[in-house]
Amino acid sequence: MNHSGSATFNGLELRALSRRVGSHTLVDQLSLQVAPGEILALLGPSGCGKSSTLRLIAGLDSASSGEIRLGGRSITGLPPAERQVAMVFQSYALFPHLSVERNLSLGMELRGVARAEIKRELDQVLTLMQLDGLRQRKPAELSGGQRQRMALARALIRRPALFLLDEPMSNLDAQLRDNLRAELRTLLRSTGVPVVYVTHDQHEAMGLADRIAVLREGRLQQLGTAETLYRDPANRFVARFLGSPSINLIERGNEQLGLRPERLELVEAGSPVPQGWEALEGQLSHREWLGDRVISHLTCPGHGNLKVLSNTPTSGEALQVRWRKADALRFEARSGERLPGSRPDQPS
Amino acid sequence: MARLLLLLWSLGPMLWQLYSSLRPSAALSGTGAGGWTLEHYRQLLQGDPPFLTYLLNSAVVGICSTALTLALAVPCAYALTRIGRRQARSLTLLVATAAGFPAVLLFLALLELARDWHLANQLLALSLPYAGLCLPLAILLLQAAFADIPIELEEAALIEGMGLWQRLRWVLLPLMAPAMASSALLVFLFSWNEYPIALTWLSRTDLLTLAPAMARIAGSSVFTIPYGAFAAATVLGSAPLILLMLLFQKQIISGLTQGAMKG
Repeated sequence: MNHSGSATFNGLELRALSRRVGSHTLVDQLSLQVAPGEILALLGPSGCGKSSTLRLIAGLDSASSGEIRLGGRSITGLPPAERQVAMVFQSYALFPHLSVERNLSLGMELRGVARAEIKRELDQVLTLMQLDGLRQRKPAELSGGQRQRMALARALIRRPALFLLDEPMSNLDAQLRDNLRAELRTLLRSTGVPVVYVTHDQHEAMGLADRIAVLREGRLQQLGTAETLYRDPANRFVARFLGSPSINLIERGNEQLGLRPERLELVEAGSPVPQGWEALEGQLSHREWLGDRVISHLTCPGHGNLKVLSNTPTSGEALQVRWRKADALRFEARSGERLPGSRPDQPS
Repeated sequence: MARLLLLLWSLGPMLWQLYSSLRPSAALSGTGAGGWTLEHYRQLLQGDPPFLTYLLNSAVVGICSTALTLALAVPCAYALTRIGRRQARSLTLLVATAAGFPAVLLFLALLELARDWHLANQLLALSLPYAGLCLPLAILLLQAAFADIPIELEEAALIEGMGLWQRLRWVLLPLMAPAMASSALLVFLFSWNEYPIALTWLSRTDLLTLAPAMARIAGSSVFTIPYGAFAAATVLGSAPLILLMLLFQKQIISGLTQGAMKG
């Protein structure tokens, strides 16, 4: 990351941010920037420090070291109330005893905002989030999707300088999640403030975010667009975390080859291998038919199982799987670091 | 059928008291004829001081003790759920020990205190030992209720910019209402029924609370036991409690079973 212009950087900036609890490091020297209007996804498995990072930014936990800057000033030591952040919790954290309307307006009421202004803001946000007819309902009387919209509405009505979302889709069913992704993206983009979006779901991160930061054990693994992360992963962890079905790894001495399932080709066993290609012979163990695509699972003696993604099912049990040498990603076997010399794929 | 028996078993003594209170003394001792009378109630209500004074005294002490207990227990319980888990565990153990401590052992010491601090014959002073004795249990009950409220709710309020008092007033306490109602009722019941401390701290007749007052009725004559008057006093003394229970039964049940549904 280049910090040279950061003194005047207008968005959110983390500088070597760390949080330690006892001997445990939850967030380790994390540095990144999110521009106004940009959506950054923090992606990683549970326990990778993504939620801890979000809590640090929100001010719910205090940083052990490092700095958080927002709009050009440091907010590291400020209490949550003074940071002007809005946060959507995984559980939505709606106040169960208050109506939709009161849930949204309580904060403003207590801050002493004029009644007329509260009403204006309420009308606007409730119309935007299509909650107008539900004003008097309690959260328990809403559907999952409505609750999520209500949580978003409560965050929007704050007119925050920074938007934080902690797995806001994880309580919705898969169908609804797919439908909401584009809508949510447009909505978040329209706020014009930096958005940090925590998720463990690669599809959500890839579909929603402008850039993705992959975290592991509190450390930033790689930061970039979905395409960069997918095509040019910095290490084995990033390569394995993105992509579905996940990347194939085969041992090759003290190296590992990473082969994307869609980059593999299946041909009849014993076919001649063209120039610049590599091949393995294997036995088909089973197929997953997904309608538009087929995942073939192959057992290659001495190399384990390989997944191959293709458009049409192949016939036969004994098969040859082959790939362009240039398509293979090379990782150091022990550390998982990407080895130089394996160049990123060319977009095809 | 089984339910009917159970109902009779628990309601029987109360109905018997109600029956006894409405029968003339002669009928109760088996010497006279039957019939119904309100004589016992009249006697009680027109006594010196009238029975209502005792009810009023008990109500004042009960309300005062309940308010004092809750005012202390709510902050304690809140603090116990918000400090670190390790400190909370040892403190909770201490509170549980205090809740289990046999209060009988404290009477003499309490009497000494009352004498030294001139608390005898001060109606409201009774609230001090009552609140003290009820506090541990109330803290435990409320602590469980606080722990059931997801921490995100308070964090959401924190991000909204609410101060500690605002978070308590608008978010936490409304959600605690069932638990607070049931704790309050337990304290009120305790102070309504409490006998030994009231007996030793109060001597002026017009300050007596219900329990010692009823004991005086029972022991007012060496030669006869005034069954009828005693039964009438029992009925009058339990009526307010039954009324309270009926009014708040929903809150009490949901408060007492709080945490039972969630793992």
